[in-house]
Amino acid sequence: MPQFLTNKRLILLLIGVILLVALISLTLRDRGQVSLPEQIVKEAVGAGQSVFSRPAHFVTGVFDNIDSLINTFEENRLLKARLEEFAGVQAEVTDLRSENGELQELLDKEESLREYNPIQAVVIARNPDQWEEKIILNRGTSHGIQENMAVMTARGLIGKVTIATPTTSTVELVTTQNPNYRVSAMVLGEDDVFGLIEGYDAERRELLLKRVDFSVDLQEGDQVVSSGLGGIFPKGIIIGEITEVTIDEFGLTKLAYVKPAADFSMLNHVIIADRLMPEVDGEDNGLTAEEDEES
Amino acid sequence: MIRFLVPIVCLVLFFVEPIFGLFSPLSIGGSLYYIVPRFLILFLIFLSVFYELRHALFYGLFFGLLYDVFYIDIIGLYSFLYPAVCLIAAYVFKKIPQNLLSATLLALGLLLVMEVALYLFFLLIGLTAAPAGTFLTARLWPTLIANSLYLVLVGWVFRSMMVTQDPQRDNRLGLY
Repeated sequence: MPQFLTNKRLILLLIGVILLVALISLTLRDRGQVSLPEQIVKEAVGAGQSVFSRPAHFVTGVFDNIDSLINTFEENRLLKARLEEFAGVQAEVTDLRSENGELQELLDKEESLREYNPIQAVVIARNPDQWEEKIILNRGTSHGIQENMAVMTARGLIGKVTIATPTTSTVELVTTQNPNYRVSAMVLGEDDVFGLIEGYDAERRELLLKRVDFSVDLQEGDQVVSSGLGGIFPKGIIIGEITEVTIDEFGLTKLAYVKPAADFSMLNHVIIADRLMPEVDGEDNGLTAEEDEES
Repeated sequence: MIRFLVPIVCLVLFFVEPIFGLFSPLSIGGSLYYIVPRFLILFLIFLSVFYELRHALFYGLFFGLLYDVFYIDIIGLYSFLYPAVCLIAAYVFKKIPQNLLSATLLALGLLLVMEVALYLFFLLIGLTAAPAGTFLTARLWPTLIANSLYLVLVGWVFRSMMVTQDPQRDNRLGLY
């Protein structure tokens, strides 16, 4: 192909490849801030994407409605059975809540790790090539969203914000393979057990709860929630349920497989948790930004 | 008219892709199947073989860049792959019988190459740990099947749109 690769073209091609490699390696690093041109592109594409995603959500909404209509009879029967239990539980909850409030007042404890300001958002796109588990929301810094905030659905935690521009934000789901993605979690029980959600087993489709004290006894079926001790996430967001307990690769700590409570396949409306307590910089892994740099 | 039609179609396909992405992964019988919509690149391959390579390269670069910035956050991945695939498509198409069937098969073949290249890239940078077998069954075949359906449905629309707009080319190939 002599006319295809003339000298000029060859040089252009080489320069192109060099530029490409440089760009890729530059953008591969974890960047805290997005550059201005990137931000502009994200805003513009985000605006277009929300126009397109609205009718799509409408259509899926209609299908969901039809689907739930079909199941109405069965669900209604189940719900009736649950309703009687519910009244008792409801009474207990109000009782406990008021007692908790009184006790907190008694202790002069006003702030709690539990409290957060929910920001509603709509998923406008999911990374279409699906190699990295990412979704894009229609809310951004102008609505109070910042990096590293927890994102959840009504059923449980789904991820955290990695990039926020004024009107869009990118969320990395907990099912990512990113090794730096950690969420400080605890297992509810008689004594709360603390650990870190670290990693995802793609074959089993379950999260890994690591760094749990070896002497602690974990049960299958125990609930795992966020502990709020990482500095970013509020306390008490449901993550999932333990399905298996083993020992980690070094044999020093326990490892538990956690089945996520949230459904990741059709994400539509999500809630972003803006914690009321002051947040610590860095990621939700118990390290502040400065410590992170040292380690 | 095609001057205006091409960017509009590209834009629509670009925005429709992630919406179809929302439906994936499909879980059938307990196992997950990832279906990656590749509408835009398939259109660009058709554009480069039936209309003009230059246009395809330009739109490939432009939308590849948008794709990189908005979804992938790794700039230079799709903005390289899209034009490269178009270039290969135009080059190979000159050497094979030129009709709709061969173009469809070529597009699917290039899609396969692109998916494998992406898999190798993400494996290299550690974003995925899926073994090759899982990649084949859970991602490559479902993606290829879904995209071939898409091509069968709209491929002829693309071609008639491009070919009738360029009478010179039409005469040369004798397509109708």
